[in-house]
Amino acid sequence: MTNLSPELLEPRPSAGWRNLAPRWSPKLAVGSALILTITLFGLVGPLLVGDPDRIDNIGLTAPSGGHLLGTTQTGQDVLAQIAYATRGSLYIGVLVGVMATFLSALFGIVGAYIGGVVDEAFSLFSNVMLVIPGLPLVIVISAFVPPEQRGSWTIALVLAITGWAASARVLRAQTLSLRGRDYVLAARVAGERTWRVIGVEILPNLLPLLASQFVFAVIAAILSEAGLSFLGLGASSSSTLGTMLYYAQNGFALQRGAWWWFVPPGLIIALFGCGLALVNFSIDEIINPKLRDLRRRVGAVTRRATDPAPSPGDDAVLTLTGLSVTYQGERPVRAVREVSLTLRRGEILGLAGESGCGKTTLAYAVNRLYRPPAEVTAGSVTFRDRVDGDLDILALTPEELRAFRWSKLSMVFQGAMNALNPVLTIRRQLEDVLTTHRPAMSRKARRARCAELLALVGVDPRRLRSYPHELSGGMRQRVMIAMALLLEPQVVIMDEPTTALDVVVQRGILREIMRLRGELGFAVLFITHDLPLLLEVADRIAIMLDGQIVEYGSAEQVRDQPRHAYTRRLLDSFPSLTGERGAFVRSGGAP
Amino acid sequence: MTTLEVADLVKDFRIRGGLRRSRLRAVDNVSFTLTPGRTVALVGESGSGKSTIARIIARLERPTSGQVILRGSGGAAVPNRDYRHHVQMVFQDPFASLNPFHTIAHHLARPLRLHGRTRTRAETWSAVVELLERVSLPAGDVAHRRPHELSGGQRQRVAIARALAPGATVLVADEPVSMLDVSIRLGVLNLLASLQRDQDLAVLYITHDLATARHFADDILVLYRGRVVERGPADQVILDPHHPYTKLLAAASPDPAARGRSFDIDPAEVVEAGSAPPYEHR
Repeated sequence: MTNLSPELLEPRPSAGWRNLAPRWSPKLAVGSALILTITLFGLVGPLLVGDPDRIDNIGLTAPSGGHLLGTTQTGQDVLAQIAYATRGSLYIGVLVGVMATFLSALFGIVGAYIGGVVDEAFSLFSNVMLVIPGLPLVIVISAFVPPEQRGSWTIALVLAITGWAASARVLRAQTLSLRGRDYVLAARVAGERTWRVIGVEILPNLLPLLASQFVFAVIAAILSEAGLSFLGLGASSSSTLGTMLYYAQNGFALQRGAWWWFVPPGLIIALFGCGLALVNFSIDEIINPKLRDLRRRVGAVTRRATDPAPSPGDDAVLTLTGLSVTYQGERPVRAVREVSLTLRRGEILGLAGESGCGKTTLAYAVNRLYRPPAEVTAGSVTFRDRVDGDLDILALTPEELRAFRWSKLSMVFQGAMNALNPVLTIRRQLEDVLTTHRPAMSRKARRARCAELLALVGVDPRRLRSYPHELSGGMRQRVMIAMALLLEPQVVIMDEPTTALDVVVQRGILREIMRLRGELGFAVLFITHDLPLLLEVADRIAIMLDGQIVEYGSAEQVRDQPRHAYTRRLLDSFPSLTGERGAFVRSGGAP
Repeated sequence: MTTLEVADLVKDFRIRGGLRRSRLRAVDNVSFTLTPGRTVALVGESGSGKSTIARIIARLERPTSGQVILRGSGGAAVPNRDYRHHVQMVFQDPFASLNPFHTIAHHLARPLRLHGRTRTRAETWSAVVELLERVSLPAGDVAHRRPHELSGGQRQRVAIARALAPGATVLVADEPVSMLDVSIRLGVLNLLASLQRDQDLAVLYITHDLATARHFADDILVLYRGRVVERGPADQVILDPHHPYTKLLAAASPDPAARGRSFDIDPAEVVEAGSAPPYEHR
């Protein structure tokens, strides 16, 4: 069985928690420093200062050696007051944070997971709580509770009850999406109980969100409490930053210019809120890694037009020479490495490879659609125009590039089914291309051209009035192809144009592409992972592995005499529909 | 020897569109039997109802009518609470079917403990190691990793191990390789096949890929709009299809052996010429 002793496999202290820790960043550093300092001040400060309530007859005095932050109207030490007030505010903030997060988790997560009537009821309740204006309600409730019973807990409870609804909605939405994830379903299939599915499978994945909701609740609570206290509706016995401001206001601190009385508490509220907000940014980055700052390399290489572009063969329309694309980062990834390809006029060149091999990056480089951190580090892309002759695509100015794209070289994107704008009609989206590139064209001519193209790809021109969601996946793909052909380009790059479509629909689209190529004579760079499909449609095939072209030849050659081991492996991976079994082992008994 | 009988399965979905309510019949009177040591392939395009059938068998969804009966070796129905010991599922997307938060070991240890297969910690760990080795993964290396540190193929192997953990005898594999890179698909399918042979599993293989269905399964059911339109031994269904829809599927599937096949012929027309019921042009 195994020679590994169980001890060897004892669970290590979970590294999963480390994954949840925010990445270290200046924002996080400043935020945590602010929070830590203020918290420490709130915790330790009161032990070091004198009695904040001790009245002295020196009255209102400016900061001095005896009183570092001066005194109030009644001679109380402001520093001592601030220390106690910070503690009071933090106490209420944390209290409310915990309660509001608990409430929102209860109503958001549990409701969304259980679904049905419970979800409807919980969600209705949160919505009602959400539309009740918070502050007025808080004022009413606070005013209703007699001042002598209005302790910190009462205020915290009131603030929690009015503050949880918004995060409950966020958590509900997230839980609804997690609930349908396969790993949650898998846990159910394994027979896990509901509470365990929620607690073990769903909750950990919500932790970053919960943390950010907690932080947000703390900020809101401290601010609201300050507001309430300032209005004189706060906790009666406790002292918070808000009550300090209230007394400062009552003591006409502003009119008397006693800045030392009201500036420090205000500043602490502002700095603490600022610190929490900064930490929240860092938590957001865990939830959505896209928000992380990409470190841009300074002085990225821009290729100069002076680089000699080698002259391609006569019938070539697109020539890639030694093209390299690198994703710059801490560890640069060379996604495309010295790729040289030639697309001849009117041919279909297939580019096959598996996920991560760099085929889409290559397509984007040809189009110059790549964005930082991707960068072309070497090589050239030459387009031989029927009229204008050779164009060095990598050296085009933005304006030239704009004119070049789509009119000479267009693209059908991966997942093109979702590439149409859902709120615009098909006509609007097609005409948009014409108004941009053919501004001189009349409205009537534009309409005619769009209808013509749609008919060409086998979609009823009446569909021009439709919205994308009214079309089937196959039709949307046809519309995308029509859009790519609108300006009669000489080259169309098709990135997985038929993936995710059913085979029958796929066959229809391929048929359309072959027919249109025959009629219009454009060349196609056909990118896919589906080698059998390429073997059927492509004239020549390039096979890409780890950013390099490992096999390049005619389709027959690639199929019958593959040179590279990887090509052979790919070919063997597709069992023949009608032929022998190949490397497949049949599982059961006799058929 | 457990056998899974699916009898007259029907599943309707209610569609709410504004004020009107309508019903969509996703699965329409489907019956078949999974027997130990044999693989049945359920073939169809998206929307044909094949995943719904998988979800009903895995008890993630209730059928509108019809039954799924699991019979033990004596022929008596297995009680409900033991159902999940026997019937497990492998999901399509290995990137989504493992919880990013938990280690691989956790994913396997949970079902072991939950189904009372192991009691002590040491027992569980050795069972986890054994499971990982059964799916050809280096246990010492993989057990403490998290899903995102594994490749798609490795993850799918973990998902298979997880399905085997409760001691499953019936395995529902819903497109187990369609999200994987082509060069590793074969390895995963062959693994499934050898596990099935070794443990006499009854397997339901759900796919849209006719070629793997033909080579991997013993019997094929072709599903069209929730209905089984053709069934029979794998080679017969693919090589000599009778129903027009099966013919259409076979004609449209990419086939490396068929280079030079003409694109002038519309597969849809081929079918219509053969006195087919009208299929909606999609």
